[in-house]
Amino acid sequence: MAELKIGTILKTELGNSVEVLQKLGEGGQGIVYKVSYGGEEKALKWYFRKALKNYDLFKSNLINNIEKGSPAKNFLWPIDITYEYDDSFGYVMDMRKSGYYEFSEYLLKNAVFPSITARINAAINIVAGFRDLHNKGYIYQDLNDGNFFIEPKTGDVQICDNDNVTTANKKLGIAGKCRYMAPEIVVGKATPSTYSDRFSLAVILFHLLFMGHPLEGKGTLPPCMTEELERKYYGENPVFVYDPNDSSNRPAEGVHKNVINLWKLYPQYVRDKFIEAFTKEAMIGEGNKRIIEKEWLKLFARLRGDIMTCGWCKEETFISADQEMNCINCQRQIKIPISIKNKDYNIPLFPGQRVYYAQIVHDMVNQIEKPFAKIITAKNNPRAWGIRNMSGNKWYVYLPNGEKEIAKENGEVLRLAKGLKIEYENGKYIEIG
Amino acid sequence: MGLSDMIEPVPRKTMVLFFVIDTSGSMEGTKIGIVNSTIEELIPDLKDLSGSNSDAEIKIAVLQFSTGATWLTPSGPVDLENFTWKYLEAFGVTDLGEACEELNKKLSTKAFMSEATGSYAPAIFLMSDGMPTDDYKKELTRLKDNNWFKKAIKVAIAIGDNVDRNILEEFTGSNESVLVAENSAMLKKMVRFVSVRASEVASKSSSAGNDGGFPSKQKEFEQDIKDFKDELEFDDSSAGSFDDSFDSSFDGSFDNPSDGSEVW
Repeated sequence: MAELKIGTILKTELGNSVEVLQKLGEGGQGIVYKVSYGGEEKALKWYFRKALKNYDLFKSNLINNIEKGSPAKNFLWPIDITYEYDDSFGYVMDMRKSGYYEFSEYLLKNAVFPSITARINAAINIVAGFRDLHNKGYIYQDLNDGNFFIEPKTGDVQICDNDNVTTANKKLGIAGKCRYMAPEIVVGKATPSTYSDRFSLAVILFHLLFMGHPLEGKGTLPPCMTEELERKYYGENPVFVYDPNDSSNRPAEGVHKNVINLWKLYPQYVRDKFIEAFTKEAMIGEGNKRIIEKEWLKLFARLRGDIMTCGWCKEETFISADQEMNCINCQRQIKIPISIKNKDYNIPLFPGQRVYYAQIVHDMVNQIEKPFAKIITAKNNPRAWGIRNMSGNKWYVYLPNGEKEIAKENGEVLRLAKGLKIEYENGKYIEIG
Repeated sequence: MGLSDMIEPVPRKTMVLFFVIDTSGSMEGTKIGIVNSTIEELIPDLKDLSGSNSDAEIKIAVLQFSTGATWLTPSGPVDLENFTWKYLEAFGVTDLGEACEELNKKLSTKAFMSEATGSYAPAIFLMSDGMPTDDYKKELTRLKDNNWFKKAIKVAIAIGDNVDRNILEEFTGSNESVLVAENSAMLKKMVRFVSVRASEVASKSSSAGNDGGFPSKQKEFEQDIKDFKDELEFDDSSAGSFDDSFDSSFDGSFDNPSDGSEVW
């Protein structure tokens, strides 16, 4: 048996040693231990030899990943590998941070996001992680609901199980769950690719926002979900529950309650993007119709700015400067008195609102946390709103009559009024309206 | 009421683990004792498995057969939150045919398989230590026409050497899915392994990928059984590593095992 005894000391390829301290958990592939690695607490994933079908290839791929390094800091990436011991081996990674819960725990409501902002931040962090991964030439292969740990208050994400990650041209023969795999993988027409990762990512994001599966509706509720039917529903003939051209698989009353309740709460542009992600063409046509990570980031950068606490009921709700919306909680209509008029969409402004650069310059998703401005109220007059320049650049402000007003340095505040035009970079403008 | 308050846990399929247990007189003593205590002890593990699985919830149904067959869960499969193991007692004959008949009756959307969210194919786990005393053939043949049964993961443990393996193979449909427990230590390990692993495999969305191959759940499980058997064998023959639970096999005979493992 491949179980390690507490206190076992193993040598590693990078010349360190690990001492096994405590068993943390066990899965189908192996056991995870807490270990001491060069004096630091780390985690060791120790494999069951028999669980690895392509042992040599798997191991050399892992070594390659260690050498190439982690795509970003939120990956629990392999950092070292042990020499063989008792006919098996393991890899060393950082310990999962405390206070983080597996994504499936959120789906089962064992863990809960206290705010919509945290939920959307989690979406941003997951997408950003996979963008980094793909940009490094890796594919994840078997993305599913067990691969993320999320901190509920902040939406911070740690991506785990990175041992199947491989560079796009290697075939490790990794299998994943039908419910999360791309249709071409389910029917056996293709091996995992960036495209198939993107399909799985869209399934994960749909789950995160709507708390249900995008392909599970009244057309996919057989008494017995056999393996053949799984191939059909997730592979041969997948139908999105809100496919505008095919209503055969709408969510079923009494069963898919979350999807029915939540779908209508999000702004139209969010629903449109998911419809686009799950068109028949995107699912069973060419992989290049799938939504790329950058598009998701743009979407979530916008959505993050469309969340506000309702003045009436004090609960969070979605708002929009482009669409009339009612509070998702108390149903009262929320009027947006003022907004930033921009190229693709308008940004609603209200006290406390933080505006990010990625909402102004949509291609700036690489720096999705870079601030642009914050909306504040005057100390003695809550009805006078100001916009604080947090962009790092000097703004030049034009009055509605075209007259150029004073410059606003980073940190300075401009009183908000309709018709103002702000030159935030040389030759680049936004308008307040 | 914020967004999170409007949310319910995601709808899950149900996967029923059926225990079909021979409680005839010959099971009396250690055999039924081990079956009882092992299942009782592994219930918390199944509860954890079910509680963290967003594909399916695991439920339990228990059928005992001796002189006749009786459901311990007569109102249908029970979720693990509300399930406690009731100790089975052994007496009477081995009416396997009646067990098949009962199983056939309940494997129906009109009976045990009526979940609104649907089910994955169940896992059916048969344990027996003797020859059927009724005419099981007719009922088994009928059971084998039941679609739920056809799609189920099926596995059996032959307890001791008074069992006709062929009958258990007839039930499960393959040679690979029958295990033989030669002593109490093996039985304990096997019951545990089969219950947990069959539940794991059956309660998750089936696998895709693997270079286009589709290992069916039954095949995947049979491979696991094979690996498990290899491991038992390895442990058994490793004279160097002294393992209490396999002490009885040390000299090749099962007489007077020092750890109290009963030999059948």
